[in-house]
Amino acid sequence: MSRQSTLPSRSRSAPPAPETEHRPPRGVMVLRLGRALALPIRRRSLVVGVLIAVVVLVCAAATLTLGNLGVPLSQLPSVLTGGGEATDRFVLSRLRGPRLIVAVGVGAALGIAGALFQSVTRNPLGSPDVIGLAAGAGSGAAVAALLLPGVLPVPVGALLGAGLAIGLVALSTGTGLRHPGRLIVAGIGVAAMAQAFTHFVVAVLARDEATSLATYLNGSLTARDWEHAAVIWGALALSLPVLVYLAGPIRLGEMGDEISETLGVPAKSTRTAAILMSVVLSAAAVSVAGPIAFVALTAPQIARRLSGAGGPSLVLSAAVGALLLVCADLVVQQVPVGEGLPVGIVTMGLGGIYLGHLLIREWRKGSL
Amino acid sequence: MATQTTEPASPARSTRPGGVRVALMFGLGTAALAAAVLLSLVMGARVTPPGEVIGALTGAGDEFTATVVESRYPRTVLGIMAGAALALAGTLMQGITRNPLADPGLLGVNAGAAAAVVTVTAVVGPTSVTGTVWAALPGAVLAGAAAYIVGTRGGEGGMVRLILAGAVISAVLNAYVQAVALSMPDSFDSYRYWVVGSLAGRGFDVFWAALPVILAGLLIALCVMGGLNGLALGRDAAVSLGVSTVWVQGGGLVAATLLAAGATAAVGPIAFVGLAVPHIVRAMVGVDFRLQVPFALVVGPTLLLVADVVGRTLLRPTELMVGVVTAFVGAPVLLYAIRRMRSTA
Repeated sequence: MSRQSTLPSRSRSAPPAPETEHRPPRGVMVLRLGRALALPIRRRSLVVGVLIAVVVLVCAAATLTLGNLGVPLSQLPSVLTGGGEATDRFVLSRLRGPRLIVAVGVGAALGIAGALFQSVTRNPLGSPDVIGLAAGAGSGAAVAALLLPGVLPVPVGALLGAGLAIGLVALSTGTGLRHPGRLIVAGIGVAAMAQAFTHFVVAVLARDEATSLATYLNGSLTARDWEHAAVIWGALALSLPVLVYLAGPIRLGEMGDEISETLGVPAKSTRTAAILMSVVLSAAAVSVAGPIAFVALTAPQIARRLSGAGGPSLVLSAAVGALLLVCADLVVQQVPVGEGLPVGIVTMGLGGIYLGHLLIREWRKGSL
Repeated sequence: MATQTTEPASPARSTRPGGVRVALMFGLGTAALAAAVLLSLVMGARVTPPGEVIGALTGAGDEFTATVVESRYPRTVLGIMAGAALALAGTLMQGITRNPLADPGLLGVNAGAAAAVVTVTAVVGPTSVTGTVWAALPGAVLAGAAAYIVGTRGGEGGMVRLILAGAVISAVLNAYVQAVALSMPDSFDSYRYWVVGSLAGRGFDVFWAALPVILAGLLIALCVMGGLNGLALGRDAAVSLGVSTVWVQGGGLVAATLLAAGATAAVGPIAFVGLAVPHIVRAMVGVDFRLQVPFALVVGPTLLLVADVVGRTLLRPTELMVGVVTAFVGAPVLLYAIRRMRSTA
């Protein structure tokens, strides 16, 4: 695995500082908030993070300005502050604005969910969508929305579905969530069942809407409103304190259960908490956008390669996830070939190729 | 890797059941198949009592009943053919790859067939049924071969590699298929029906178009099934027993792909029949492929027809596609198979 190979080389390139001084290694700054909080920040991660944020902003501006209904770039600042023409304000506040905000939120949530999962299962392929969690959340959402409208909020339904799916996967591997290959094969089975169940639910009620069903099952950002944005950003805001608290233990957990236990971090409860957060975030993402494939798988991987760090970075994964989804959505909105497709199809195609590349690399190393 | 292979190579389970028991079970299986066929003719939006069905079969009943029952002939015949083909394809694949998780659907064969059908429809326009079958074939073969090559790179692959390779290929092909189908909705009405896997609304022309392909696959399968027993012991052992591994593996793969492609072209991608049936059959008769093949030919159609009947009756008067039912029945078999891997790994 990549982190095992990068860790030693990193410690060689940065010789440990003398014990007494507590100086951070080269390339690392420490962000201090009083005595309670000290967050080490690697300089390269910071640069990469700022760069990604800039690219996201550019893509966001493109999302708002391109196309027939786009707000002209020169008008954008005044429209954003509440001025400008009525049409442009409508486009921003009803059409493109919420869609963009939802895309950023869903991408970030998926990126974090993937990073958490991959880190604590020590499994570069263990992302919520590969192991059937997203499909489970999808069928939970379908049940809540179609079978029990009004009884159960859709996000809660998605959460229950996701929990059920991951429970089934953990149960059927017989080895919990550790063995990479087995996890994924069990995930394929659970995902197939969840999809069959969703088909069933939809067939019971909305059998004539074949196309909209296909759109929903693939994950789409079309016609999102501020309510969707509120759900995904609410979930992100609620999970933020937990994530800040978990970040340290997770980083220690990367070194193995024994070491982190020795350092006073209970490995098992960290893992449980991280997986729970991962389930919550992907359920929230699925409930607003449907099961969007492979963003949760690829975002942490790309983030790790960009930052060159050994461990996972939740912040960078979130940023990359947001970037991926905003870009993919830009493609389906503006590229003629992809026009009108659910965004999940773009991420599925590209992410699938990336997954193939990843698999072959893992096989070469013999870790699968 | 040999230790990781479960049933095919496990010596403890290779004790052959007695001839009487096998004959008895085969009789039971055939009876179950007959019952499933009858159910398939009886059940539907309107339940036709068995007496009337038999009357209609012999030409004695009234015209209305005769028409209703007649509309159920093609799907019953298609169910028998597709069920047998998928089950046999699964048995062959699991035998050749010595991997109890192998299933043509999981190896991307279905997705390949779908991608080829979509491409042809997009380029040439809607095709005839025969055209669909011939378009599906190369797609299925290519996707299956790709999964096999990627999954077995660097020596005899592990249990899960093949499945992972198939999953990746399926994901990419599915994205392509969905993209094309959703962006040209008008020319894909029939495709959308095909892609969920259904026995309904297909005539005898589908049957006749797919039959030659499936018969060819069956013929090759019958030729190689003896050699599969040797192969189950491992490649070296098979060679020392005088089995031509190239012929058995190559022929078996060709046969499995032909069978899966023919079935998929006819009734759409139906997953998990090919996975589940070999497991059921091995539980019944053990690991001898000369017994597994005929039993698979009986159990497969039974399973598919029963799934079809369940789909027909669950949501009366509308129908649930048979592919959805088989996924719900078959996926637990996959989970069970993974759990078993642990005990033998």
